[in-house]
Amino acid sequence: MKKKRALLVSLFLSLAFPFLLLAQDKPVTGKITNKVNGDPLAGATVTVKGGAVSTTTDATGNFSIQAPPGAILLISYTGFGTQEFAVAPGSAYNFTLNELSTSMNEVIVVGYGTQKKRAVTTAISSVKASDLENMPVFRVEQSLQGRVAGVSITASSGQPGAASTIYIRGISSVNGGSQPLYVVDGVVVDGGIEYLNQADIETMDVLKDAASAAIYGARGGAGVVLITTKRGRAGRINVNYTGYAGVQKAWRKIPVLNAEQYATLYNEASVAAGGNIRFPDPAALGKGTDWQAQVFNDNAPMQNHELSISAGSDKSTYFTSFGFLNQEGIVASSNSKFKRFTARFNSNHKITKAITFGNNIGYTYINSTGVGTNDEWGTPLNRAINMDPITPVIETDPAKLSQSPYTMPDIVRDENGNPYGISSIVTSEILNPVAGLKVAQGNGWSHKILGNIYLEIAPIEGLKLRSTIGGDLAFWGDQSFSPVFYLNATNQNLINDYTRNSNRALNWVWENTASYNRTFGKHDATLLIGITAQRFAGETQGGTRTGIPATNIREASLAFPVSQANQYFWGGEWESTLSSLFGRLQYAYDNKYLFSAVMRRDGSSKFGSNNIYGYFPSVSAGWVISEENFWNPKVASFLKLRASYGENGNNNLEAFRFVSTVSGGRNYVFGDQLINGVSPNAIANPDLKWETVVQTNIGLDAVLLNNHLSVTVDVYNKKTTDMLQNVRVPMYVGNNGPVGNVATMENRGIELAVGYNQNIGDFKFSVNLNGSYNKNEITYLGPDKDYLQGLVYGPQGVEYTRHIVGNPYGAFFGYKTNGLFQTPEDVTNYKNKNGDPIQPLAKPGDLRYVDYNGDGLISAEDRVILGNPNPDFTYGFTVNAAYKGFDVILFGQGIAGSQVLQAIRRFDLPSANWSTKALDRWHGEGTSNSIPRVTLDDQNKNWSNSSDIMLQDGDYFRIKTLQIGYSLPQHIINRIGLNKVRVFFTGNNLITFTKYDGFDPEIGGGSFGVDRGIYPQPRALLFGLNVGF
Amino acid sequence: MKQFKLYIGIAVIGAGILTGCSKSFLELTPRGTELEANFYRNEDELAQGLVAVYDVMGWGTSGGYTMKMPLLTAASDEAYAGGSDASDQPNWVAYDNFTLDPQRGPQVGLWQKNYSGVYKANLLLEKLEGSTSISETFRMRAESEAKFLRAYFYFDLVRFFGKIPLILGPISSDQLYSFPQSEPQDIYAQIEKDLNEARPGLPATVPVNENGRITRGAATALLGKVIIFQNNDGRMLEAAQLLQEVNSGGVYQLLTNFGDIFRPDNKFNAESILEIQHSNLAAWGDWGWINGGEGNVGVQFIGAADYNGNVYSNGWGFCPITLDLVEAMKDDPRFEFTIVDGKKMKAEGATYNARYQNTDYFIRKYAPQKAYRSTVGTSEINWPYNEIEIRLADTYLLEAEALVRGGGDAGRAKSLLDAVRGRVGLGSVAPSLDNIYNERRLELATEGHRFFDLVRTGKAAAVLADQGFTSGKNEVLPIPQVEIDVTNKTLIQNPNY
Repeated sequence: MKKKRALLVSLFLSLAFPFLLLAQDKPVTGKITNKVNGDPLAGATVTVKGGAVSTTTDATGNFSIQAPPGAILLISYTGFGTQEFAVAPGSAYNFTLNELSTSMNEVIVVGYGTQKKRAVTTAISSVKASDLENMPVFRVEQSLQGRVAGVSITASSGQPGAASTIYIRGISSVNGGSQPLYVVDGVVVDGGIEYLNQADIETMDVLKDAASAAIYGARGGAGVVLITTKRGRAGRINVNYTGYAGVQKAWRKIPVLNAEQYATLYNEASVAAGGNIRFPDPAALGKGTDWQAQVFNDNAPMQNHELSISAGSDKSTYFTSFGFLNQEGIVASSNSKFKRFTARFNSNHKITKAITFGNNIGYTYINSTGVGTNDEWGTPLNRAINMDPITPVIETDPAKLSQSPYTMPDIVRDENGNPYGISSIVTSEILNPVAGLKVAQGNGWSHKILGNIYLEIAPIEGLKLRSTIGGDLAFWGDQSFSPVFYLNATNQNLINDYTRNSNRALNWVWENTASYNRTFGKHDATLLIGITAQRFAGETQGGTRTGIPATNIREASLAFPVSQANQYFWGGEWESTLSSLFGRLQYAYDNKYLFSAVMRRDGSSKFGSNNIYGYFPSVSAGWVISEENFWNPKVASFLKLRASYGENGNNNLEAFRFVSTVSGGRNYVFGDQLINGVSPNAIANPDLKWETVVQTNIGLDAVLLNNHLSVTVDVYNKKTTDMLQNVRVPMYVGNNGPVGNVATMENRGIELAVGYNQNIGDFKFSVNLNGSYNKNEITYLGPDKDYLQGLVYGPQGVEYTRHIVGNPYGAFFGYKTNGLFQTPEDVTNYKNKNGDPIQPLAKPGDLRYVDYNGDGLISAEDRVILGNPNPDFTYGFTVNAAYKGFDVILFGQGIAGSQVLQAIRRFDLPSANWSTKALDRWHGEGTSNSIPRVTLDDQNKNWSNSSDIMLQDGDYFRIKTLQIGYSLPQHIINRIGLNKVRVFFTGNNLITFTKYDGFDPEIGGGSFGVDRGIYPQPRALLFGLNVGF
Repeated sequence: MKQFKLYIGIAVIGAGILTGCSKSFLELTPRGTELEANFYRNEDELAQGLVAVYDVMGWGTSGGYTMKMPLLTAASDEAYAGGSDASDQPNWVAYDNFTLDPQRGPQVGLWQKNYSGVYKANLLLEKLEGSTSISETFRMRAESEAKFLRAYFYFDLVRFFGKIPLILGPISSDQLYSFPQSEPQDIYAQIEKDLNEARPGLPATVPVNENGRITRGAATALLGKVIIFQNNDGRMLEAAQLLQEVNSGGVYQLLTNFGDIFRPDNKFNAESILEIQHSNLAAWGDWGWINGGEGNVGVQFIGAADYNGNVYSNGWGFCPITLDLVEAMKDDPRFEFTIVDGKKMKAEGATYNARYQNTDYFIRKYAPQKAYRSTVGTSEINWPYNEIEIRLADTYLLEAEALVRGGGDAGRAKSLLDAVRGRVGLGSVAPSLDNIYNERRLELATEGHRFFDLVRTGKAAAVLADQGFTSGKNEVLPIPQVEIDVTNKTLIQNPNY
């Protein structure tokens, strides 16, 4: 090492010697700093214009150069362009350079390090704090929606706190493992990201290709989201307050039949089924009950506040913040709420010149309660649209009250003691939604502390040794109380019960990395090696007591003494470990030729004994064409081509799935004793390993038009192999199938991100656009099958989607139809080659199914792919404009090329209400060719088959956010000791353009693309305030 | 530089610790659960494996509600499906009306249940064979019980489905998705083999605290029944011989009082030969996996809906008795122990609501009675009513039938038939097949025998014609479509489905 240093010194001297000899004039001295943050610029080139003399600045930005009188110095620095300054010999100057207004100099977090965007050879997209500030988004993943090319985000519902489905470059696995890995300040976060306060985020970097995610090895397969929280800066104390509050409502309701219309159609349906008129005088029923009005809250309040304080000195900096969010849902507000308190403390301390110590610690408390958001089993909205409008919200008719079911002792009553209406028409889960909400009592809570501490030592220049210990400690649980109730014949509870669950998890990570950066001549290389150990473990316990002396959850307690038989206790624990080694070499020659290689070895306790370790390599390279001499900078000031290839894994599976475990509880009674029985849970698979995701990426970054326009294009091909899944085995095997590495899938796509900005005087304007196209295809599911069952509906389990080889994941599946039979002759004329009717059970007004396989009858074999819930295109744009104190932010987002399957009516309950579309049903020859007749006896399975009549165009474009702000002039607020006062008005989800006629075309979560009456995204009007001093 | 070396040293040591430990760091053992490979070490654990096989006998709710007794009663001419409406249990309605198709009907539950039982029995037999640490006494009895249970499950499978995969051990990976179906006669041959092997190792009787465990009588009775179900008149005397062993072996007696047979407080009475245990001991509360508990949810199904009175507990109005059966039994002394007369109930001051296909007649033998309603767990799924699969009157009549069909001792056939009739005070009739079958209908009404009896005697087409029964099709259920799909159609669907 010593020898090398000596060599360098002599090299430097020999280079400098000629200039020293030529020292005739007095030198010009100076310091060059970054205009924006005052940092010294080391390594800037200083040249005398028209001369041969040149030097570079030292580490503190200082330089000294011989220049003749009247000379002009050219100062150039990568990313800052070249600027000219007139100088006089013998003088000292402070030059400040302005960074080129290009995104290429942004610092990107690349996982265990950072890089300037211009040097990045992989596909990484970033979102900065400035893009997110004041945006009314409460979950971190939502803030990526519409902002990052290649990232598709679909809210699972509009319920406060609801998670989103996030796919980075398409669905990468048929498992739940398609959600990306979240890494917050270096700590991998399991179990949801809702704990994070968006206002605390400095940057989010999305690692999209395999080469960038390879550093996360077996967990990077679905992409990685790196989140860096804010840190303090040296300087004065900054105090910032941001808050907003407002109201939310549904942007749309579904028109359903009123009582008169309902009774009319019911009669028609009853007669069609050979029954009698049930409601002799529909008109007398009037409008009836508007159940949606009972369930929706058009004035649901929400508020969000954050206070942050940051400051620092040369030695120490800190950032601390407090946040509070309180949101009520627009559906069933009493049962749909989200409250979050967050606190954060981040600090950095330079103990000596070489040793840095720091920490990032966040604490979050969440208390929430929710309702079912998109299923057919009695969510408030599903009930509201299916419940008959004849039943009143509360029953006051004495004649009815004296009869069953109102004489049942445990009927549910409102606060005035009036019994809630009980339908005598609709049954099962479709009951009075208001009464249903009354008996559903409970909430969930969580405390989470996530943080890390690190020690970084830089013993010699370029070498950094870092040790980080991170932890994610969470306590969470829930409680629920079910009083004694009678809602209808099938929904009653004879003995109350109170259940409480508590869970605790501690995930820790210990990482040690060493990185060494060295520049020699035009070569620049950084080598990183690291080792990590991680453990994920937790435990759960819960209990129920039934028959306690309580009538609501506030009175309920597990402390009430009840008999042994009325108390239950359960518990469990989980554990998995990960041990990894990784290395990365980044090399650049002359800022022109860039190269990077990563290798990670992951060992996971989740994998079978035959496959404990997995190796995940990647390489990437870039060529900055604009640095070449032949390049004409007028075409583009920056142009880089890059390509990458790599392998990642996905180890998102339950622990111990590779072995066959046995469980008890398979009991039987001998005599009068309950005897424990034990049997295996599933079949074993010792070869079980990670899923492999192999991805090739080719990309281009360019800056054009005098740095006003930046463009990034990426093309990728991502193949998932060895996809883990529960191997579905025939039931005759007698047990659940094992998890196996069987299936393959492919995603191919193209991404485009364009940014444009221009300042004209006081008018500042920028637009960012992004769009992506992705095509997903399941390519193999194993030797035994060509599809997997997807989503099903109702008690009959009607298949709505299937995962079929050669098609996208979750494709809609069912019968193709060809209009309606108009006449009995239509039915008889629709015949096969034997002359038999193809649909013998059909009647006029029924669907004509396409005999797809041409076998002369309609059977399950005629079902085909009907559509795709995954969008072909996702896009978004943000417009920022500011003029003097005013600013406007317009943010829109949309998808195209997707369908939604609408299944909002419980067809299996023939008396469920209809949407007003049923008014245009077939009810006589020529009345409709698309909406079948109504009947209580749907022999033709018009609605109990999955068919194309349920599909609708799912495209939408949404003005997600429109924000108008005004900042008070500095000279006014400075007088009162403030440095920032901004008021703003935000409209969220203001306008949605879509042909879809349900509550919301945005349907994520477990029922992706199938609308069972989804809890829609709220439209919010918010007023906010920023104050800083 | 010295300092630097120190740092490197620390890092190297740290790396060493991590990588050195990493193998053990990654080798975790699950807590709270045992591995299959490590389990079944001793008699205790093998016995727990055996209990898990027994457990499946009590299942009625894998893949929907498919409790055998009410379901078969609805499928026969004894009762309708009932429930709140036709969409309440469409699978029952489909069986009742024979509008079955590969996706509609009770087939998934019945297929899954019985193959789960077969798997667990096979596994246990394999583990027993590999075990060296158990006594011969234990091995013999456990093996016998497992073989009996496997035979029991296959008997249901062959009767419900006909041609089915005959699986007797671990399935090799190349057959996992393409296990061939065997002809019913081969299934029956295996059932007989299992029962014959099981009989010697089973005790004639069990002590009270083992009530529910299989006895030799149960195996013998089942074997006799299995032979009769194969409809080979040439083997009827063989069946009669076996049934005689049960009927005249001195272990079982007809109860004097017919009404005592199905009293929930009279479990394992002298007439009961094969009885499936149900109780509220598990105090179960999970509607999503009712099989996890021990209750008999079938009881809840068949009670009158919203019943309000002193005797019964409100049920869900399934399986209203057909007027045919009411007519057939109206003068029979067994009527009041077989059928609940709703009108009479109302006259006595009780109320209930009519449900789908209401006839105002309900099943009595398993009727939910207030006195037995569970006060622990969720009452609906904790009914402590055992199911009697085989009782002495059944084996009497089977033996009588076998004797007649096989040309055996007509006098004994007559005395068996008369014994069943005499118990309820009915006079002697000639031991003709018609009389025996009629007696089966009345004696065993709503116990789940009728449908299979109609099928095996070839009467189903005539008797169930107005219910929609199609000959050559509805004798068996369709094989579940999901099963055909997952095997990529290597499973052949039953004819005409």
